[in-house]
Amino acid sequence: MRLIYKLILIPVILVLAGLILAARMPASYVVDSAGIIENSIRQRLAGNLQELEQKTGVQMVILTVDSTEGIPIEEFALEKAAQWGLGQKEKDNGLIVVVAVNDRKYRIETGYGLESILPDSLSGSIARKYLVPRFKTGDYTGGIYATAIVIMHTIAKAEGVELTGLPKIQPRRTRSASPLGSLLTLVIIFIIISSLFNPRSRGLVGMLLLGTLLGSSWSGGSRGSGGLGSFGGGGFGSFGGGGGAFGGGGVSGGW
Amino acid sequence: MNKNLWAVLGIVVVVIILFVGGFISQYNKAIRMNEAVSAQWAQVENQLKRRFDLIPNLVETVKGYAAHEKEVFEHIADARKAYFSAKSVGEKARAAGGLEGALSRLLLLQERYPELKANESFLKLQDSLEGTENRIAVERKRYNDQVRILNTYVKSFPGRFFAAWAGVEKAQYFKIPEVEKETPKIKF
Repeated sequence: MRLIYKLILIPVILVLAGLILAARMPASYVVDSAGIIENSIRQRLAGNLQELEQKTGVQMVILTVDSTEGIPIEEFALEKAAQWGLGQKEKDNGLIVVVAVNDRKYRIETGYGLESILPDSLSGSIARKYLVPRFKTGDYTGGIYATAIVIMHTIAKAEGVELTGLPKIQPRRTRSASPLGSLLTLVIIFIIISSLFNPRSRGLVGMLLLGTLLGSSWSGGSRGSGGLGSFGGGGFGSFGGGGGAFGGGGVSGGW
Repeated sequence: MNKNLWAVLGIVVVVIILFVGGFISQYNKAIRMNEAVSAQWAQVENQLKRRFDLIPNLVETVKGYAAHEKEVFEHIADARKAYFSAKSVGEKARAAGGLEGALSRLLLLQERYPELKANESFLKLQDSLEGTENRIAVERKRYNDQVRILNTYVKSFPGRFFAAWAGVEKAQYFKIPEVEKETPKIKF
């Protein structure tokens, strides 16, 4: 009996832990909650941002929301950046661009480590030149893309790397498959299988658990690229114990 | 008999070690919290200083378009002086508030001088200034959070005892003075 409890408890705890960790990470480099960015551009942008991270370590995320629900956009951006732990811990090189469509507000929030590459005055000029004019005509996709590209070029130039512009791996529409989630699945399967081969606990419960697990994880994942160890295009690779510090640097404005 | 004595002695020693250990760790905790408040205050002052460094350029740029708005410039000069003569956290907070009021009046000039509003270097300075204001707000909040942790400890029991022992006192919050909160109105 006790073993059965353990069998149920362990996966539950592991899954919960996984969920808590997953909540720390954005689903992609481009989180378009407001649905204002064209699909093709969104994917290309996510690829570019991934390349940026691979080559410079800078974790830059674009977030669009309908509204910040009354929270000042500066606070909102800072909260999200902290929640997602953007930037490497010792380099503080996170960056988040927030667009609140219905509030008609934008914010470019830079981590401590990027303040010298992207001082507020430069971020402000970039936003005024590339974002605001396009947003005024309703071209959100163009405004966000142009702004992001210019910011990425600025960072790449300062870091002395070259971005190819197009990612080698085309971002796929995966459901934010994280390596951690895959690892968890692996661990749970291992626990259950090993318990099945243990004569004392062999039985229906184990079979049932295994069946449910296989059903849920593999049928759900098969739509994308699912499975084990797959975190291609859109997903974050290196979002581990990171978390750069932000000090409220950056610019905000409206259009 | 002898065995019992050793057992009692052992227990006494363990209790003493636990007590002393607890005392030391509480003492260190008080010191550490005090240091955290000081470190965070340094961050606040960094950002306040950064704002002062921006002002001369901003004033020069605005003067190019609105040289006769002497009153506004004088206000800023006064607030600057008040800040540098301020000593305590409370005085500095008040002086910083006064400067904020003067600065917002300076920035409001752009409503009356459209050429200023279109000047890219003015806009850039404004970005830097707003960015710094936001940084000040962020660091101020973090400072107040640290102060709250320390003050709660100092007021509570047995924290009060350990704080007194370590010579740690309550810290002052960085409050935004009432004057600063009211935004200046545009007169037409």
